[in-house]
Parts: sequence; C-alpha cells; structure tokens
Amino acid sequence: MSVPSHTTSRPAFNLEALSNYAVLAAFLAIIAFFAIFADGFLSLDNLVSIILNKVVILAIVALGMTLVIASGGIDLSVGVSIDLSSMVFVMLIAAGYGGFVGAVGGLAAALCVGLANAALINKLKINPFLATLGILFIGETVQRVATGGGNPIYLTRGQYAGTFDVIARTEFLGVPTPIILMALCIVAVYLALHRSVFGRFVTVLGDAPDVARYSGVRVGFHTSIVFVACALLSGLAGILLSSTVRSYVPLSGDAFLLDAIGATFIGTAINSERRPSVVGTLLGVLLLAVMRNGLLLIGWNFFWQQVGIGVLVFLVLGISFGLRGRSE
Amino acid sequence: MSEPAIEMRNVRKTFGPVIALEKADLVVHPGTIHGLVGANGAGKSTIIKILAGIYRKTAGTIRIFGETIEDVTPVAIERRGVHFIHQDRLLVPTATVAESIFLRNEPRFGPFLNHRHMRRRSKELLHRYFDLELSPDTLISELSTAQQKIVQITRALAQDARVLVLDEPTAALIDKEVKSLFKVLRRLRDDGLAIVFISHYMSEITEICDTVTVLRNGVDVGVVDPREVGIPRIVEMMTARNTSEMYPRRAVALGAPVLSVRDLTCEPYFRNVSFDLHAGEILGLTGLLGSGDKEVLKALFGQLRTDSGEIHLNGERVEFRSPVAAVSSGVAKIPEDRRAHGVAAGLSVRENVSLASLSDVSSRGFVNRSREVEVVSGLIDDLNIKTPGPDQLVKNLSGGNQQKVVVAKWLNCNSQVYLMDEPTVAVDVGAKIEIFELMNRLAEEGKALIFLSSDLEEIVEMCDRTLVIYRGEMIADYARGDIDADRLLAAASGAPAERGTPAPVRRSA
Amino acid sequence: MSAVATAGTARPTRRKRDYSKLAVRLGAFAGFAAIALYFAATARGFVSPYNLTNIVEQSTILGLLAFGMTLVFAGTGTDVQKGGIDLSLAANAGLCAAVYAVLLRNGYGSAIAIPAAILTGMAIGALNGVAVVLFKIMPLLATLAVLNIAEGLELTLTENTVVPVSSPLIDMLAFGRFLGLSSLTWIFVVATIVLVAIAHYSRIGLRLYAVGGHKEAARAAGINNGAYVYGAYIAAGGLAGLTSILIVARLSSSTPGTGQMLLPVLAAALLGTVFSRRLIPTIGGTCLAALFIGTLANGFQLLGISSYWVSGVQGALILVVVAVTSFAKK
Repeated sequence: MSVPSHTTSRPAFNLEALSNYAVLAAFLAIIAFFAIFADGFLSLDNLVSIILNKVVILAIVALGMTLVIASGGIDLSVGVSIDLSSMVFVMLIAAGYGGFVGAVGGLAAALCVGLANAALINKLKINPFLATLGILFIGETVQRVATGGGNPIYLTRGQYAGTFDVIARTEFLGVPTPIILMALCIVAVYLALHRSVFGRFVTVLGDAPDVARYSGVRVGFHTSIVFVACALLSGLAGILLSSTVRSYVPLSGDAFLLDAIGATFIGTAINSERRPSVVGTLLGVLLLAVMRNGLLLIGWNFFWQQVGIGVLVFLVLGISFGLRGRSE
Repeated sequence: MSEPAIEMRNVRKTFGPVIALEKADLVVHPGTIHGLVGANGAGKSTIIKILAGIYRKTAGTIRIFGETIEDVTPVAIERRGVHFIHQDRLLVPTATVAESIFLRNEPRFGPFLNHRHMRRRSKELLHRYFDLELSPDTLISELSTAQQKIVQITRALAQDARVLVLDEPTAALIDKEVKSLFKVLRRLRDDGLAIVFISHYMSEITEICDTVTVLRNGVDVGVVDPREVGIPRIVEMMTARNTSEMYPRRAVALGAPVLSVRDLTCEPYFRNVSFDLHAGEILGLTGLLGSGDKEVLKALFGQLRTDSGEIHLNGERVEFRSPVAAVSSGVAKIPEDRRAHGVAAGLSVRENVSLASLSDVSSRGFVNRSREVEVVSGLIDDLNIKTPGPDQLVKNLSGGNQQKVVVAKWLNCNSQVYLMDEPTVAVDVGAKIEIFELMNRLAEEGKALIFLSSDLEEIVEMCDRTLVIYRGEMIADYARGDIDADRLLAAASGAPAERGTPAPVRRSA
Repeated sequence: MSAVATAGTARPTRRKRDYSKLAVRLGAFAGFAAIALYFAATARGFVSPYNLTNIVEQSTILGLLAFGMTLVFAGTGTDVQKGGIDLSLAANAGLCAAVYAVLLRNGYGSAIAIPAAILTGMAIGALNGVAVVLFKIMPLLATLAVLNIAEGLELTLTENTVVPVSSPLIDMLAFGRFLGLSSLTWIFVVATIVLVAIAHYSRIGLRLYAVGGHKEAARAAGINNGAYVYGAYIAAGGLAGLTSILIVARLSSSTPGTGQMLLPVLAAALLGTVFSRRLIPTIGGTCLAALFIGTLANGFQLLGISSYWVSGVQGALILVVVAVTSFAKK
C-alpha cells in the first residue's frame, strides 16, 4: 500500500490523546475535590507534610523502579534493598559507628542486592520478575535471621544523638534535607533517563531488547546498571526511613513495592508516548500521596484508604489501557 | 460446471481512508486447485482474512456452496467446511500432535476427553494422507517445520474439510517436502476438495494450480490458466510492469577487498566458508532452509562463535565475540525479522535512526537533541522515508519505510560492511525497488554488501557474485551473468540433476 | 518410504532437548526424594503416619491456592511479566475469610456464609478478568490493583483484628477425621482429583491450555479466548473462597496477613512446572510442589531449624528451578 500508513492511525491518536487527558483530568478533579471537601488540605503545613511524610521516600523508590521498568524489567526486591540498607544503617549506628559509616554501610547492603539481581538476570538469564522474587524471599530470611525472627531495633537517644539527626531532621537553607536529597535524585534520574546516551539505550532496551543488541548496545551492562541504581535508590530510601523513625522494623520495605510500581505505571499512562518517565512517575507518586492524605482528612481510615487507592489505580489503568486497546 | 465452493463477489474492504481491497472476486470450484497471487499489498491477505472471518467486509457478497453468508465468523466458516492453513504455524507449542489435531473438535468419552480415540485417529490420518509415522504424543515444539505444517493440514482433514485455504504452505519446506505436499494436495483435489493455494513462488503456481486469480491494488485483474499464459504474463499482470524495470541497474568498479573470510567453520551449521568481499560489491548468499546461509551472516556479526577459520576486515584479523564488537568495527546487519530485531517499533524514527551513532550527536554522555534532529531529518530526506516527522513512532510507518529506517541507522554510523538478511520480505513492490536502489547507492559509495535472499530472481538480478550454501558447504560461487534462477535453484537443492525442477528456496514464516 | 517423515531440520537439537527436559524432570523427582529421605533419616518421627498426614494437611491451604494460580497460568501463559498472573489470589482468600468470619460472628449460618465467601472470591476473580480481558491491562498490574482493593476490603471488614469464630462445620473441618485421615487431607485429595480431571482430561482444560500456550493458535482454532481467561480468573477466585473456609477452620478465626501467602503460592505453582513433561504448570505438578514445600517446612521444624529459613530456601529453589528449566529449554 503506497498510502502512508500514519493516516490510518489518525482516529487512534485521538483516542489515545483522550486517555491522556482523562487521567490528567482525573488527577486535577481529585485535587479540586479534596481542596473543597477536606478541611486544611491546601494549607502549607499540610502540603509540606504530604511531601515529607508521604512523597519523599516513595518518590525515591519509584524513581529506581522507573529506571527498571523503562529498561523492560521489574524489581520486586526494592523492599529488600530498603530493609537491608535500613537494617545495616541502624545496626552500625547502634554499634556506635555514627551516621556516615552507617549510611555507607546501608548503601553497600543495597548494592549487594542490586548486584545479586544483575547477576541472576544477566548471568543465569532468569527473567527479572522471578529473579527479584527469589531475592525477595531470600531477603526475608536474611532479615529474620539477623533480627532473631523479626524484632525491630529501636535506637535510644544516646545512640542517635549527634550524628544521626544530620540526615533526616535537618534543614539546608530552610529546606528539609530529605526534600533536597529527593530533588537531587529526581534531577539525576531525569538526566540519566531522558537526556543521556545511557538513558536512550535503556529506553530502546525496554522497547525492543534485540534491536538494542543488534545495534551494538551492551545489553548486560545496561541492565546491570539499572538494577544496581534501583537498589541504591531504594537503599537511600531505607536510610531516610530509619532516620525518620529512628528505628528499623523488619520487612517494612515491602509496603513501598506496590506503590512504587503503581506510581510508575500511572506515570506511564499519563505520558504521551506511553513510556515510563520521571515526570509521570512523580505525578503518580503525588496522586497516591494526595489520595492518602485527602482521604485521611475527610475521615476515611487507613483501611478504606487502601480500598480507595486500589480502585483509583484500577480505574487509571483501565482508562489508559482500555482506550489504547480499543484504538489498536 | 458445478456450483462454486467459494463465491466472493465485489468484495471491498477499507481501513479508515485506506482501501485495502477495492472490488475483488474470488470464485473457487470443488475439485480444483485455485491459485491466488499478487504483490505484497495487492489485497491477498485481506481477502483471505475476510473469508476467514478475521476482517469484516465493507461491501460485497460471500457464498459458500451456494449459501449466502452475511455474518462471516471463524466458527461459522469452519462449520461449513472451510479450513485455513495459516502461514505462521499456528499451533500450541506445548500441546501434543493428537491434541493439536483435535483442538476444539475433541472426541469425548462421557464428560472426559477420549485420549485413546484421539491418538488412534491422529495416527491413522497422518499415515493415510502423509504416509507419516509420527507418535501422536510428540509435542508440537519438538516437530520440524514441515511436520508442523502437516499437523495443521491434518487438523483440517480430521474435521472433514471441503475447502482448504493454504497461505504460503511451502514457505518453510524443502524440495522433497514440497513434492510430497503437492502429491497430497492433488489427491485431495481428486477427492473433490476445493483448494485455494497462495504462494509467492510462480513456479509452484504453474505446477500445481488449475486456475489462478491475480490481484493488483485491491482489484482482481484476471482469472487465468497458469499453464496456458505462463509465468512472465502472470508477473506482468501482478506488477503492471515489465519485470526488467524491477531491478535498477548499476555499474560499479570493484575496489579493494574489505572483508576476507577463510575456512570459517561453525559446527553444525557450516564448514570451510571462504570468500572475499570487495568495496562496491553486492555479494549474494542463498541456500535452502537450514543450509547454514543465515548462520554465516550470524557468524560475521558476532552472533555465533565460530570453531575455526579467520575473518579479516581491511586486512586485519578480527574476531567478533558479540554484535557490539562487530558494530564497532563497522559491520552493520539488517535483520530479517524487522519487528523483533530491526526497529524498536514503539520508539520514534529519530531514536531509531540515531541509535547506532549516538556518540556522534552527544557530548559527555548527553544527547544533543538539536544536533540529533538535524542529522536524522537529513537522512529522512535523503532516503525519502515517508514520515510526518522525526518524532513519528516507527510502528506507524509502512514496512518499506521501516526497512529504510533500519538502513538509515547504519548509514548514519558509517558502516563499511552491510549484512542484509532478507531485506525485501513483506515490503511492497514500490518499496522493494527503492531498497534495491538504496543497495546500489551503498555500493556506489564504496560499501560492501552481502545480500541474503530466498528470492532467486532478486539474487540473480542484483548481485555481482553469488555464493550458494548447501548443507553447510559452500558449493557454488557464480559471477554475475553466469547464472539464472534455475541454475541457482539446482545448486541450492544440491541436485544438479534436478536442474529446472520447480521448488522453492526457503522463506521463513 | 516417506519423504516427509525423514525430512526435518530441527532434528539434532531436538534429541538434546528431549534429554535435557527429561533430566530436569528426573532431577526434580530425585531432589524431592533425596530431601524426603534425608528427613526420614535424620528427623525423628518424620515418617510416622501422623506426621505424614500432618504434612499433607499443612500443604492443603497452600496447595489449593496454588491450584488457582496454576489455572491462571494455564490460561494466560507462564511469562509472568507479559503473560498472566494473579497477584490478588492470596489477598482474595484473606478477604473471603473475613467475609466468612464476619458473617458467622454476626449470626448468619454457614449456609449463607459459605456461599457468600465463595461468591466474594469469584467476584474478585471476575474483577481481574474484566481488567485483563476487557480493559486489556497487563495482568501483573491489574491484579496488583485488585490486590490492594481486596486487602483494603479485608482490613475494613475486620479492622485489622482477629475475628474468632466457631461453628459445628468448622469443628468438623478442623478436627474431623474419616478413615483415619483428617478433613483437610480429604479435601486436598478430592480437589486434586477434580481439578486434574478438569484441567487434563476435559475439553475445557485442553482449550484452556491452548489459550495459554498460544493465543493466536487458539483463536485460529475458533476458541473464544476471553471466556477462558475470565474462567481461569473466576475459578481461581472461587478456589480462594473455598480455601478461605479452610483457613478460618484451621485457625478458628479470620486473621490478618493471609495475603502473605502470595509468595509461597507463586513458588508452588512455578516449582510445579519441573514435574511436568512439557515444563508447564499442571495440577499434578503443583500438588507435588505444594507437598514439597510442606515437607521442607515440616522437616525443618522437626530438625529444629528455625522457620526463618523456609522462605529463603523457597527463594533459592525458585531461582534454581527457573535457571535450570531455562537452560533445559534452550
């Protein structure tokens, strides 16, 4: 057929565009809804608290997940990275090594998780879902063995005084340090994924791994970097988590897994090219955080919040995939 | 004459503004083998998909054994005895032969499957029609391509097919297998079945078909007796042009050898392959399915580890352990499976074209977007890629334009050697000519090309020299003008005595 | 003399693959047997009839849920990332348990509570079906969202507390015995037989596997793929509902945290593939895998090894199995 085939996709394009707007419109409607019905939703204190308590840690984890999903994989072991990093961090501080050594130790633990994932995926050719699932199981055992069955470790005032507060509870030029760290991560991942040669290769890898291979992209190397980066970001999130609550609670990181995946795919649904993107993921994180906070303010308890968020994610995915599926 | 088994009249199909089938008739009588030919995009697959109930016709009437069918669905059509043997071997890889033959038509024993009956009948049918002793418990994934094709046909026969529609049934078969398939088809025809036979191979059409419907641009331009009118006339009807216009001419003086291969061996695929490839040369490479020709390309691109032998690139010994190494030495490959290996369909033209040469448009690891757009736009104009702009997604382009995107990618990184694996598969005639022109241009610019194709005419017309691989051995090395398609075919089938026997070279599904 | 029969290009590799597949299967059986023998030799009381039935009993709940997962895999393929999966299965069982327990607590009889629990499970399964078939959401994501919904509803119903219940039926399920075997054991045996019959000896099963094995081939054969995918999810949900009653019976309560079973359930369904000739999930294979996991947990217990190790061993098993099968398939 000599007719340029892009004309055939014209109606499809409209439907796709519609689905983009539908998700964005839903987001704005939700914010408007809470602004009207939830007292204090728009107050500065509440907004800062949304970001500090709900956004920072999830955003950092979700950034890592975005990299992994952009490369065509998935990482179910972010919880392990969070937990092991947090565990080593807290243990080192409890042993008197101070915050800096603790943080380095925590990140090193997360690095191990990332390297293990990379080795399983690249060397043993196990698909990312199953590889990271295996690591998830093993991580659970590691934590239980290390904590005598899953006992939390709480830091006493004497232990965390001085060094510990530096990370989570300080400000820099009036901005809380966690927010600065998050901003740095956002900029770094944005540049890496959307502006660099590395990110371009990762994107091609996600769309068509064989094309990348036949075009001279070092597939194994890039996959490894992506999984290690995801683990390190999750490790950072783990450190921020324990330095906020001054403790380590075993197996608490898994709570972020579903939200991180959800946020990334909400972001993919919003993105005009249907790709995982940093901006999209951040909107996804915000959407989840706003929902949690708003539902809390209008008096829903934690349990109903979960139902609400499940339904929301379901609808967002339904709109985005449903309209796209129809258009093809 | 008897009542037609299939009678499709004035069938029309449009996709939005695109007319896939303008107004076509297809009438097939019982007891005949009816050929359906046409260039890619002529509407062959569209009319078949309408008959199969996969597409819904925009207009026209469809009668099966005299009965007008308004709502054509796969189930409705199958119930009337019309069965389709699809080109891709549509079988469940994890099912057994018996299960595949009886899928959706399973004999029962009470509420349960009658496994014994399934096994026995399968054995019987395979033996009766194909003289084939195959355990009904064999898994589909363990069968050869030809055996899978046979299971597909047996499935139709098990359901008492009255009409068989075979879409490129010989595509993945070797000479002998084609012969025995034709024997079966003739027997079925003599039993009174109506058979629709779709093939790219004109020699097969003339050998087996009693009548042929020729499609061009969505219109049936004629129904002829192939033995009467002959191949050249049918091709003329298909393309509406003289065959000689298909292949643009070129005169290039060969330069120095670029790629020298000596005694390259990679068991069990091929042995002792040696040749020199010169700058400005188009070297043909062909062979039957499984002959090892594809593996030669793979070895040259670092996808296969060789056992022994040497590859020299510009006089220097090289050893490619991965495609990464091959690409960085200036070897480019245009893979056969475009969707899986050639283009990232979900990404833009820009991202695809610049993929292999990102370092040229980036600094310190970051992509310079405006440089990139500039370079890519230049190539889009240069290669005449039909796209609204560099940011159009590749999946929205036509097959020929996608192929040009792949070429543009390699052009952009100054590759010296181009390994082209079936570059003209599934592109329409117009795009084919453009790809040939592009190949000539590359040669004129001093690049060296290896052109692997199972379309022997293409090889004969386009190549300066042609290597033929037969069972892993390089058995012939012809210069241009020394060969015709028949000689090539005889060599590829490894049987010079059978010279001139019509048989296809492989085209994988 | 048949030309076609002798033709074929994939021959040499085919033999090799046959042997490697066989090796995987034999290896799997040998591994299971070796571990059982090891426990028999070192763990006192392992081979006592009481302990053996105990293993089966311990494996029942895991096994039934894994059967649900197996049906979903059968109908949607085992590529867990792009194919199908039901992440909501365990959470669904938790929700059904909550429905059952709360209804009993509020004075409704089993005649209402049991159908309500099973229907709840099927409804959640249908929701997965809608998401996957109608909305065409990737199953991984769709069932993830449904997992959140199911878990949230469970928490809402029980307010994250233990809901203790008792009824004659529950006593019978928990303590009843018939021919020397407990009720749970009988249920496991009957469920296995029924599901083997449906999945491997009926038209429905054959077609379900065809849909999961090759979508286009199934469609070309005239099978309504969507209906089978719906069916698989709904059946899995129904099994979750059924299992929830056993969960409540075993614990005499609905307890938060049933969702934690997801990973062992996945492990059992995936491990089961190595016991099948075709290296696909089968009811029989899943049954063996569930017993295998139950044996491990039981043996560890008897040997005094901390239960912390169980999940780690499961994880390592998954990795070994997947790595070995992917090499065998090559």
